[in-house]
Amino acid sequence: MNSKQSRGSIVWAAVLAFGILLSACGGASQPSASSGVKEGSETPVLTFWAALNGNASSVVKSLDDIPMVKEWQRRTNVDFQFIHPVSTSNSDVMQQFNVMLASNELPDVMQLQWTGIQGGAAKMYNDGTIMKLNDLIEAHAPNLKKIIDEYPSIAKQLMADNGDIYVFPDLKVGEYGKYKTFAGLMIRQDWLDELGLPQPETVDEWETVLRTIKEKKGIIPFTANKNRLFGTKDSSDFLGAYGLGQSFYVDNGKVKYGPMEPRFKDYLVRMQSWYKEGLIDPDYATNDSKLMDSRVSSGQAAAFFGYIGSSMGTYVPALQQADPAARLAAVQFPVLNKGEKPLFVPAQWEFTGIGAVLSATNKHPEETIKALDYLFSPEGSMLKNFGIEGETYTLENGQPIYTDLILNNPDNLSVSQAMAKYFIANYSFIGPADDRYNDQYYTIPEQKEAIKRYAEYADNAYRVMMPPVSLTTEEADEFGSIMNDIETYRSEFVTKIIMGSEPVASFDTMVAQFEKMKIGRAIEIQQAALDRYNSR
Amino acid sequence: MRLLRDIAKHKAIYFMILPMVLYYIIFKYVPMYGSIIAFQDFRVAKGIGGSDWAGLKHFIAFFDSVYFFRVLKNTLLISLYNLVFGFPVPILFAILLNEIRNRLFKSVVQTVSYLPHFISLVVICGLIISFTSRDGVINSLIAFFGGERSALLGDPANFRTIYVISQIWQEMGWSSIIYLAALSGINPEIYEAAKVDGAGRFRQIWSITLPSLVPVITILLILRIGGMMEVGFEKIILLYNPNTYETADVISSFVYRKGLAEGAEYSFTTAVGLFQAVINFILLIGANTFSRRLSDNRLW
Repeated sequence: MNSKQSRGSIVWAAVLAFGILLSACGGASQPSASSGVKEGSETPVLTFWAALNGNASSVVKSLDDIPMVKEWQRRTNVDFQFIHPVSTSNSDVMQQFNVMLASNELPDVMQLQWTGIQGGAAKMYNDGTIMKLNDLIEAHAPNLKKIIDEYPSIAKQLMADNGDIYVFPDLKVGEYGKYKTFAGLMIRQDWLDELGLPQPETVDEWETVLRTIKEKKGIIPFTANKNRLFGTKDSSDFLGAYGLGQSFYVDNGKVKYGPMEPRFKDYLVRMQSWYKEGLIDPDYATNDSKLMDSRVSSGQAAAFFGYIGSSMGTYVPALQQADPAARLAAVQFPVLNKGEKPLFVPAQWEFTGIGAVLSATNKHPEETIKALDYLFSPEGSMLKNFGIEGETYTLENGQPIYTDLILNNPDNLSVSQAMAKYFIANYSFIGPADDRYNDQYYTIPEQKEAIKRYAEYADNAYRVMMPPVSLTTEEADEFGSIMNDIETYRSEFVTKIIMGSEPVASFDTMVAQFEKMKIGRAIEIQQAALDRYNSR
Repeated sequence: MRLLRDIAKHKAIYFMILPMVLYYIIFKYVPMYGSIIAFQDFRVAKGIGGSDWAGLKHFIAFFDSVYFFRVLKNTLLISLYNLVFGFPVPILFAILLNEIRNRLFKSVVQTVSYLPHFISLVVICGLIISFTSRDGVINSLIAFFGGERSALLGDPANFRTIYVISQIWQEMGWSSIIYLAALSGINPEIYEAAKVDGAGRFRQIWSITLPSLVPVITILLILRIGGMMEVGFEKIILLYNPNTYETADVISSFVYRKGLAEGAEYSFTTAVGLFQAVINFILLIGANTFSRRLSDNRLW
């Protein structure tokens, strides 16, 4: 063999191999976060990190493109430089937030669901990454201060155990902040009518309804997707009927963990039998939300868990295009025995946990707080929820009514898109929410009915829901690492049981495994946090 | 001294290698400093310098974890299947391509086989998901032959098969480039001599083509074995679901879930990553030593 040539080919091959290695390592860049004052002006420039809601991302590139946000900055004399995570999905937002946190280069203002992150905002304060807001609110946020003074229950939700406030909140408060339940079970009402079935109230009635629909319509009636797996911490189906929370809940002042309770086994028995019988979608664990959307809108499914705004708002028009008689209706949250009142209603607290924090490196905390507080003022609240008077709404008898720019958009935008293009009403953002937006947003009669039906027992939820407690840094670390393992184990095991690859009898194995993974300690931590919360 | 003289003599070559050296220093060696947090209770605000030391706590927590054996087993199995089924394919493909005499046909086949490599992984996984779904192409085939439709990705028994087959499809063409380059380096005179001696096509492949490829094959095999503990998390997390964790959850997806997606256990996940790197290092040295003893082909 010609040795010179073969060596040449090996070198050539090695160069290629490196090239492949290189091409495998993509680079990622982070927007650099800095704060400062624009040259030659008094307007402070503040970087503002927030996930862009899906409604908004379909019509604007940045919150800065929204006229209401421009007007808000003009009136409060600040200049927000918005930074948005690339994707709007919750797990991607969390991932980008964690990466940003690890880089330790933080924007001046950050908005997120703080109760969703390990240790919450309190941990970030203890780590020294964000500011405490009490004194700033006292001195520069008269509007929020008024609310805190007026509603002790809201003050309790906002405060950490030691009385600190870290988050400038998104709130549902007062006369126009009563709607707190926006999602629930929905069913094809036209099929119920056709088959002569009443709306199901109990789990047994649900079974009858689903079975009849399966037989008469030849479809698999109940669908779901992998973001709301049956029996997991994101479960939004029949778990509540069994008197169980998705995860931790309160039973007469005692913290309990839903999947450890004996009734959870009853739930599993039922779901397993439904799965086996073909009453629930056999692919629910692999369905993404798009697949689920297409099942519902093409009439291949009859019942599901959905949102009044986004689900009903898109499914009903889609269904009616093919079949004008198609109707969806909200069903009251199920119970086990006839006459019982639903307890586990997915209601929200006044403070949803969403809000803004100020990073410790913010150089203009005073101006920032003033600007944020403006949204709680009467004019600010109108601006946030209804936009600019004369353009997006007019006042009739003192009530704001959206103009045709929103309700019959000339560019053929849907109502939710038109809203998202001009102001911030149909998703969570700092400041007060306003029910009068919902009344006009829900244009379909089924939606107006749904918001009332779901609200009927919403107050019951506050008896069993875990309030927004806060954990110490050490507790949060320990709790996080325990629950991470447990929730992974649980979602896997429960899914197997429901799909029938594990017998229901393994429930006891699962509970034993929870105990081995120190669920006892996790409950203890939550109980201590609840006790501290109650004595705030 | 000798190095300096050598640099002075071959300025251009050293200049060309500079970007690669810088790349490795900046992106591979400097970040190693961050591995320190595996031995700390890392707090972002305190930084690497200020966080408290935790010793081997996080390593012990990983070895004690109920998931330790499972993620280890899944990682090794997926790597092994990838190696056993995936490694020979580009070699065969390159040899087959090399035998094709029609230039146009050859380059069309080559280009088509590279394509999947350049498609974004998210799109690839989207394709895989829709192919394997209940109404997908594969199920239609199964139903046509009398089988029953099922969500293929929902069954833990199928996960590794789907992963490995799609991996082969993705990388077959691209990986064959190296072998094609090596093949083009074989002196045609050898083939001519063989023909004169009466060797047929297969005889030529067996006695000339394959032996010429052995050095490249060995080097790539050693590199592959050095990466046994590494299965990228992106494709896994795009394809798995809680029902298939049992066969699908690998070290990197476990680290992703714990460190980025659900929790922010930076120190713990760094410890896991470090463990993975150490095992890879041992495997690489082992494979290299083995190969050096057995033949003379080696990385260093």
